[in-house]
Amino acid sequence: MLRASGLVKTVGEGRAARRLLDGAAVDVAAGELVAVLGRSGTGKSTLLHVLGGLDRAEAGRIEIDGERVDGASERALAGLRRRRVGFVFQFFHLLPELSGEANVRLAGRVRGAHPRAGVRAGELVERLGLSDVAGLGPAQLSGGEQQRFAIARALVNDPRLILADEPTGNLDDASGAEVLRLLRETADDGRAVLLVTHDDAATAVSDRVLRLQDGLLA
Amino acid sequence: MSGRRRLAVAGIVAAGLVAGAVVAVAYGLSTGFERAARGADLPDVTARFAPQRIDDLDERVRALPNLQARSYRYEIDDIPLRGPGGATDEGRLELLLGGRRGYDIVEGRDLGEREGEVVVERGVARALKVGPGDTLEVGRAGPLPVVGVAVSPDNVAFPLAKTAKIYVEPFDEAVDANVALLWVNDRERTDITLASARTVAFGLGDLRFLTREGVAVTIDQAAGVVIALLVAFALVALIAAGTMLAAGAHADVQRSLPALGVRRALGFTPGGVVAQHAWAALRIAAPAGAAGVAVGALAVSGPARSLLETLNQSSPGWALAVPLLATWLVVCLVVVAAAALPAWRAARKPIAPLLRGGELAARPPRARGGGGLAGMGARFAVSARGRWAGSVATIGACAGVVLLMLGLATLVVRLRDDPTVLGKRYQLTVNSDASLLGNLRAIPGVADATQRYEIEAADAFRLGEPVRLIAYGGDHTRFEAPALAAGRRIRADGEAEIGQGLADALGLAVGATLATLDPSGRELRLKVVGIVRALDRSGRVAWIPEETLRSADAGGVGQSVIRLESSADRASVEDELRALGLPPIRTEGATTRNAAFLATLAGVLRAVALLVGLVCLYALVQGLAMTARERRGTLAVLRACGGARADVAAVLTGAALAVAVPAAIVAVGLERFVLAPAVTALAAGYAALPLEPTGLQVAALVAGLLVLAVLAAVLVARSLSREPIVHGLREELP
Repeated sequence: MLRASGLVKTVGEGRAARRLLDGAAVDVAAGELVAVLGRSGTGKSTLLHVLGGLDRAEAGRIEIDGERVDGASERALAGLRRRRVGFVFQFFHLLPELSGEANVRLAGRVRGAHPRAGVRAGELVERLGLSDVAGLGPAQLSGGEQQRFAIARALVNDPRLILADEPTGNLDDASGAEVLRLLRETADDGRAVLLVTHDDAATAVSDRVLRLQDGLLA
Repeated sequence: MSGRRRLAVAGIVAAGLVAGAVVAVAYGLSTGFERAARGADLPDVTARFAPQRIDDLDERVRALPNLQARSYRYEIDDIPLRGPGGATDEGRLELLLGGRRGYDIVEGRDLGEREGEVVVERGVARALKVGPGDTLEVGRAGPLPVVGVAVSPDNVAFPLAKTAKIYVEPFDEAVDANVALLWVNDRERTDITLASARTVAFGLGDLRFLTREGVAVTIDQAAGVVIALLVAFALVALIAAGTMLAAGAHADVQRSLPALGVRRALGFTPGGVVAQHAWAALRIAAPAGAAGVAVGALAVSGPARSLLETLNQSSPGWALAVPLLATWLVVCLVVVAAAALPAWRAARKPIAPLLRGGELAARPPRARGGGGLAGMGARFAVSARGRWAGSVATIGACAGVVLLMLGLATLVVRLRDDPTVLGKRYQLTVNSDASLLGNLRAIPGVADATQRYEIEAADAFRLGEPVRLIAYGGDHTRFEAPALAAGRRIRADGEAEIGQGLADALGLAVGATLATLDPSGRELRLKVVGIVRALDRSGRVAWIPEETLRSADAGGVGQSVIRLESSADRASVEDELRALGLPPIRTEGATTRNAAFLATLAGVLRAVALLVGLVCLYALVQGLAMTARERRGTLAVLRACGGARADVAAVLTGAALAVAVPAAIVAVGLERFVLAPAVTALAAGYAALPLEPTGLQVAALVAGLLVLAVLAAVLVARSLSREPIVHGLREELP
């Protein structure tokens, strides 16, 4: 599902420049949940951004479901993110003006979204146990509820790949466990899931664990 | 230079453009007459009369009190003139009989070196394409060498004025004069000189006085109300530019809140922070404002100069530098104040929210669902209430001004073409006496006909104040009925309905007495029973009963006026009139018939309208850029979810429409209830000007604003789509 190799990415300029990815490679198959661990500042989030087409690598090859990411135009990348990739962020990134359910539906409102995105949004809200709080705004939701809405939003266009950036980093243990369970279920549904995390509990639900160190995954 | 800085600079330049343009036009027009009158040494009084021997005349004139200087001319009208580029039969030959000239040579030299030379008025030089070194065919005198081009603001320029004026010196010793030019020592006491002149003028036939003040009224009449409207418009545009500057500077402070918070955290006092903001704003405002003001003034300099020349007035030249400098200072002051005030407000708030870049007046959003991407954008725009209201006010004011200009343009055309704007209800005039009225009424298509009389008189107490007395055979309201502002219509002998302009000038109210002197020196006392909003002659008109005119034996020019049936074929009525030997004259509007003049006016209006339109676009882009900046994280999430540039544009279009639609409503209300009445009061309080927008104009404005909103959204979306999504995601951190 996801195949990446030879990824190079530098951040900063001049004396402050740091090469975060230096030939990193990763493959994630459908139905597989892979966890990437690493210390703070090693480039875990950057890896996820590059893989999902949110940022561009200086070198390397990335393929999602047979579609090339590296070198793709902005328009092609937007299409790729719309159809094939779902993102889950550490800080949820729910829009404060929208209710939880409206945040889920947001991803279905972009042009070219999944034709059943609206229906799927309702189903996901129900399936993730969020029906009772669907009309509340983010400020009225607990961290766990917010992250569950964020996961629902990531799934609304039925992507084949889920990229999760520290999805439990801002949650208490119980909520974190619930989120990991949902991600495991997502992988069990046949999707590829790549999550970067500090959370050792994530390793328990993962099929494989990789460590990012000196720009390489091992 | 950062995009944000570029936007701020663009805003100041745009405001400077508007301010520079309107100040250049307004200053040029409001001072043009005095400047030209000074340059041309325009006489304080011009007296016209039947030809008199100069010796006899001078004996009477030199005895006048308060007289500083005098000179004489002999005017001959209807002289055929032919130049390399055209010809006219309406030439006016001014034989100069010594003394001060009363004109300014703007090209070539004055008369006096050789006999048989001619100086032409600038309008004639342009129309007939003659200049110094050319020859001009002057009636029976044949070809005469042109040695100079002159300007005299005693009338507007040919062909706006009917007569094409040329100046020559007499070939032999002239003995007769029919014009006297008088310069007085004290202009405040011109009345005394005029009163004495009337006394000593006994026996002079067809005596008419024209004062400097009267010339200004005549020129005002020739140019219609458009000049005054332009000046009034300039004031409105300046207010809009000021509002925009304030909004722009406020937005800039809003963007800088985190930096402001950092400074406060480092120990800067609120005063120090404000001073830094003010200094930073001044460093941007000074060069950008100077560039804007200069370019704005230059942009309208061509049309404004052309307009002034058409009116025989002078461009301000370097004198314009002072008001432009003042405009630049005002622009800088507004920017500095607009930056310093919100900075002061923000600097006194707790530091932590500043570091997070919170709104100056933060308000927790209320979560809702639905509405689509555009609806979401609209909610983004409205959630910052202060800025939303400011944007709506600014764009509404600018759009209101644009609407006003559309109304003005329509009015200019109507004033030219539509006599009903002046309250005139007759369509045709013929030179005939009352005995033919029966024949006129018998023509198919004619609804009614009557005699109309006009007398050029002056106020008996203020001789410099001209009054046109108008009388109709029968009820005048059937043929001419300007709107009644106070009192009632005339019913009986000795009553008068006077124009608001005359009432204002003489301080007359209903019940007062208007005393006039006709050209023969006969006094006519009239009881004011009504005051009307008359546009003609700036309201210096009075309608009186026919019998009053007859009993005073005042004479006056009589013509038959014809009112057509609504279904009448005007052309066939005109043919019938010609068959009766009465060539018809179509009733015309108030302003000039000159197409070039109107084109120039349209040029000025269009130039300023374009600038105001750019201000609207700028204000929309500025507001959207602010919204996009604040919602950078949200838009990054949308893009992370697969949203393309079109989706971002949809959000921003919603935000732009949330401003543009209420702004359009504000614009229509503002124009209808504030600007139009204000401009009417400022420009021609003596008249009722139809400046209300038409449905088509409102539709054009709304469509224009919608197009600008979409354009602004596309521009900002394009700029936003260029930056990496991860930058926005980082800013979304709580």
